[in-house]
Amino acid sequence: MGQLNIAVIIKLEPDFSEGNVSYNPDGTLNRAETKNTLGPHSAIAAHAAFFGKVMYDAKVSIGTMGPPIADLALQQAQQISDAEELHLYSDRIFAGADTLGTAEVLKTGIHKMKEKMDIVFSGHRASDGETGQTGPQTAWKLGFTFLGNVISYTVDMETRTLRAKRLISLQGTPNIIEEIEAPLPVFISIDPTYKSSFDKVSQRLAFHKYQKEAAERADNYKDYFTMFNAKELGVDETLVGLPGSPTIVYKVERVPKSTATRKAEVVDGSDPEQIKKVVARMKEALDAMVIK
Amino acid sequence: MAEQFRHLYVVIEHEDGEFLPVSLEMIGEARRLMDDFNSKYSSKEKVVAVMLGHNIQDTSKQLIGYGADAVIYCDNPELKDVRNTIHTKIISQIAQDTETLGEIEVEYAIDIQRPRYMFFAADSIGRHLSSTVLTELESGLASDINQLVIEDIEMSHQQKTGGKKETYEKTLEMYRPDFSGFLWTTILCLDNRNPAFPRYYHPQSCSIIPGVFELPKSDSSREGKIIEFVPTIDTEDLRVKVLGREIIESEVDFETPRTIVSFGRGIKEEPEQNIKLVEQLAKELNGEVGITLPISKKPYPISSSLDAKYMIPDRVIGTSGHKTSAMLYIAAGVSGAMQHVWGMKDSGFVVAINPDEDAPIKDECDVFIKGRMEDVIPLLIEEIKKQIQIVETV
Amino acid sequence: MAIIGGGSAGLSALKQLSNLGKQAILLEAGSEIGAKNISGGILYSKKPQKGTVTNVEDVYENFLNDAPFERKITKYILHSTSKDKVYSMDLTAAHDYQSNFGYSVLLNKLNSWFAKQAIESAEKLGGGIIPGVHVKSITWNESGNAIIQTDELDEFEVKAVIAADGVNSEIADMVGARPKFTPTQLYQGVKVIVKLPEEIIEKRFGISSDEGVAHLFAGDVTLNHIGGGFLYTNSDTLSVGAVYHYHSQITNPSEPSALIDALLKNPMISEFIKDDVPIKSKIDKSLPQEEQLRIRFAMAKQIKNWNEIRFSYLSSSGRQRLIDSGKYKTDEDIKTRLDGIENQLTKLGVSFGSDYVEAEYGAKLVPDGKRCRMQKPFFKNILFVGDAAGRGVFVGPRIEGLNVGIDDGVRAANSVARAIDKNDFSANSLGEYYSKETENSPYTTDMKQIDKNYLKIFLDATKDIPKDIIGSRYGPILKMMSNEKLRGIAVKFANILGYEKLLPMLESEDTYVKIPIQLAERLGETVFRSYSPSIPSISDRIGNLSYNDDNSSHIKVLNPNSEFMKKMVTLCPAKCYTEEGGNVIIQHEGCVDCGTCSQETEWKHPRGEKGIHYKYG
Repeated sequence: MGQLNIAVIIKLEPDFSEGNVSYNPDGTLNRAETKNTLGPHSAIAAHAAFFGKVMYDAKVSIGTMGPPIADLALQQAQQISDAEELHLYSDRIFAGADTLGTAEVLKTGIHKMKEKMDIVFSGHRASDGETGQTGPQTAWKLGFTFLGNVISYTVDMETRTLRAKRLISLQGTPNIIEEIEAPLPVFISIDPTYKSSFDKVSQRLAFHKYQKEAAERADNYKDYFTMFNAKELGVDETLVGLPGSPTIVYKVERVPKSTATRKAEVVDGSDPEQIKKVVARMKEALDAMVIK
Repeated sequence: MAEQFRHLYVVIEHEDGEFLPVSLEMIGEARRLMDDFNSKYSSKEKVVAVMLGHNIQDTSKQLIGYGADAVIYCDNPELKDVRNTIHTKIISQIAQDTETLGEIEVEYAIDIQRPRYMFFAADSIGRHLSSTVLTELESGLASDINQLVIEDIEMSHQQKTGGKKETYEKTLEMYRPDFSGFLWTTILCLDNRNPAFPRYYHPQSCSIIPGVFELPKSDSSREGKIIEFVPTIDTEDLRVKVLGREIIESEVDFETPRTIVSFGRGIKEEPEQNIKLVEQLAKELNGEVGITLPISKKPYPISSSLDAKYMIPDRVIGTSGHKTSAMLYIAAGVSGAMQHVWGMKDSGFVVAINPDEDAPIKDECDVFIKGRMEDVIPLLIEEIKKQIQIVETV
Repeated sequence: MAIIGGGSAGLSALKQLSNLGKQAILLEAGSEIGAKNISGGILYSKKPQKGTVTNVEDVYENFLNDAPFERKITKYILHSTSKDKVYSMDLTAAHDYQSNFGYSVLLNKLNSWFAKQAIESAEKLGGGIIPGVHVKSITWNESGNAIIQTDELDEFEVKAVIAADGVNSEIADMVGARPKFTPTQLYQGVKVIVKLPEEIIEKRFGISSDEGVAHLFAGDVTLNHIGGGFLYTNSDTLSVGAVYHYHSQITNPSEPSALIDALLKNPMISEFIKDDVPIKSKIDKSLPQEEQLRIRFAMAKQIKNWNEIRFSYLSSSGRQRLIDSGKYKTDEDIKTRLDGIENQLTKLGVSFGSDYVEAEYGAKLVPDGKRCRMQKPFFKNILFVGDAAGRGVFVGPRIEGLNVGIDDGVRAANSVARAIDKNDFSANSLGEYYSKETENSPYTTDMKQIDKNYLKIFLDATKDIPKDIIGSRYGPILKMMSNEKLRGIAVKFANILGYEKLLPMLESEDTYVKIPIQLAERLGETVFRSYSPSIPSISDRIGNLSYNDDNSSHIKVLNPNSEFMKKMVTLCPAKCYTEEGGNVIIQHEGCVDCGTCSQETEWKHPRGEKGIHYKYG
């Protein structure tokens, strides 16, 4: 019945809330002027790790690849998950990486954590970028079973297996909740609708105890923090950063049809001629390509 | 080296013996792309559908009619439910299996190593599957794509080309909308031609947003190859057990339809009749019916069947319910409360029907039809019958 | 041992139980302590001449040091209003009667602090506070233990329960301990928080940083209701509100937000709440969409900065904090930065003018202990404290609930501790003992009898009122009351008759409306208003509050066509009720759980973490 070791990989992202976000004249994000914060999906992953802490007295570690200021995200994640190990993987050569290059860094970083991991959590996606690829790619490189869209989980500490419920949304079919069982270690990409549930008084009290501990630790996060550059991490330089990234951003253009607030054409509902014109416009809209 | 990578592989998703619409949409777009490609480059590369599952042999044949030139299927009881590990392993095996690749196009059997391009669906399954497959294949993936172009690209890039000008032939330009909704980012998966760390990266892959591309029509006269793939299965890859699957009953589907017709408290005068009008309008446009939050509280007495069907929280569009980006959104008798507007403002074309010109919805729509819905909707229905024919979706 | 309800009373019980070495858990429905609490409010510490009470500083040793309160009230003034005329009477002596202190408080902050203290001791004994849990039923097993069923947790068993779940106590209702309070037994309180920088408050009200004032209002501002308005100074906010006899609202319904507006529009009050505010200009619609968006976000960001820095700048501790943070070297640096932001805002088209800034709107029912206190505040092994037991003190301008709850909490905790030691939780042992304890409370005495000394102070304060204004009704009585000997007899007589018989006369339109209006018109001074406050609409007020709405309604309408429910359309402070074709229907989103409609509804609190979440309280 050994220790349960949990890692969370997180991301520092722009804070999109009003009052914190800044936009350029062309409507694009002004990153320089926008505050950064722990990404919302990363935060949910941290909550999922905290569930493991409360229920199974797990040890939680957190890792992120980013610039030196990403230690803010680590501190915030520690506050949520009561983590005892914070890793920042930061080096110029990591820059420009696509998800494959990032996954290589994270995989190497997770191997450098003190304990051998039983569960690694990641958020469903980043709120900027939004590919949702980094999690599964890191999982594959680690050789862990990948489970996506997890909405709840429990661990059988005796048999070292995990049971989880996943939410599967496919187009054209109703949503499915799938219950699965897998031996540890696993990599879980947590669904945005994940909810921790603590049903017993004793669990609620433990929750509170660890929450307090988390706040104290986060206040002194530097005691738990290590930063690694490429050399210290021991990465293969051809597999990280731009050199290790198959994909690049080629260009960025304005979307042809803007979905900002509209100017309405007012039409008399009793005039059949005008109705005809409206329906013609409706048809045009249905024929055009959707931009989501 | 040029003929190491040929063809476009499309990973098919299916549920209960039916193709998910996105699978066919991908085949349709793949067909279009490769027809252009073959004409532009005087080539004969193929659209190849890849399908894993159990008892799928017969179904897989239909893919030829929708536009595939070949279907590689793998039929095994272990593949009944999609489990990431085993599916990733097998798809990766298929993508690297020179024998299968050779069968598709015998002329290039000796040289061909992998597909040139690969498509997945951008849904719960495909997003993750594409990520792990491309990690196994050590190549590039762009996700949530809604436009594709194949071109020769001339460029110089510090890392990719070492600063020299290079021409990347037959490159797949993958367009994805960014999070702000204002920008379109184009992603390329390119070989490293930088002498410091040369590498090839194929297949160029992407996951495609459902509902973006047209559903193709089936042409039974089309012919193609059906190839069975027998995988190498390692029991280590089968350790995930699916204990059960529960369908969350939701009558309401706001994802698939391109049109949503919502009603609000404007039905007040004749609730029963007005709801039926809205129903009819939605039917004409093959759309789904949504409601505003107050309606879910059942404020007006109507027949219990209509009540149970429409005045339910599951139909709410807004902050307490669903967010939609339907192409056509019709708001009938909706005043335009902020919570509701939040749920529908990303729609493509918005039509509001309301007798009150001061209703806030006027600032959130493209056409404001001034009038009562009981008068306007019948006129609309008539006109729609004349002008618009909606193709039935699968 | 479980305590249900994390308000001041429940937390006091938890702290006391911990002080006595007894393990207990406290269940709170809000997502955190303080989320669902609201008070006028002033927290008193009293020193009654007869009997003893446990005050807040006795329960929490570091209360005075840590100071989780706003300001010490050092002046207490009653204003009679009529249009723009005001007649003011200093009632500080009445406020100070038998009082150690009165501090203005904001309950979210106060109760959060209480919770922090209580948790530390409770956790050492294996107990604690569990937020986000809503009790839905209580049953008993053969051994007499209570089984608590909640929406969120597996059920569990306890030996005793302290019900501290407020005026709308669901516990009282679900076990049948007492009937629901009726409008004649209740007051409806409604208030807003107004933001005002610290040093502006101090300058305007003529107080130092250690002082505060309480202003009360009667007269035309009450819109003919029985009760009064209040304005209390907090550190950098004001609590402005009104408490009216609920029965008077039933007779003559006024929208609660209209009652607040009447106060805010009164010239004296509008001058009190005035501040310098940025006025956003309309963005030029002819500009490209993206430019409009950029301007909008830039304005929002700069206004946020301006507010934050200005509030810190106009506070000595705020300035110190900014300098300590290292961002600024001197006070002048801060001012320079502030001026810089103002310039930027002006460039964006923002101007500055006079108005007031409203931060939070809220409402709650308050029980009038004189009319509805539980004679025996227990049921089986459940003890009721504070508002849940209907124990609010209301005597003229004297309104006390927090201190009563705290004292009750201690009495209940002591009773439970005793029962634990004797291992006897039966009604005879636990319930009856606690009942006696509350009977002995000086607060209970104030709910039963007139205190002639308080009366004297009150009379002295109002002695300058011309006799003819008082009218024939009160004249002889007041004359009698002014005479010491006669006063003693009169009060004794009144107390024998029963408080309730006198009440209709004491608490009447004459007392609260007509006489103050006459006073103001005859003797009042004119107050000039320098601006017109822009008052938010009720939908803005509700829209501004934080909610976590549940899917289904926590309140069910039982009788959609009754007269009472029809009045709810006006009287619900959050406008949750509308009338459609003769039926009253509820839209529960936006409900503030005040209890106004509880009489004729199946009234419950929302499930755990759901519903209203007050930031100030």
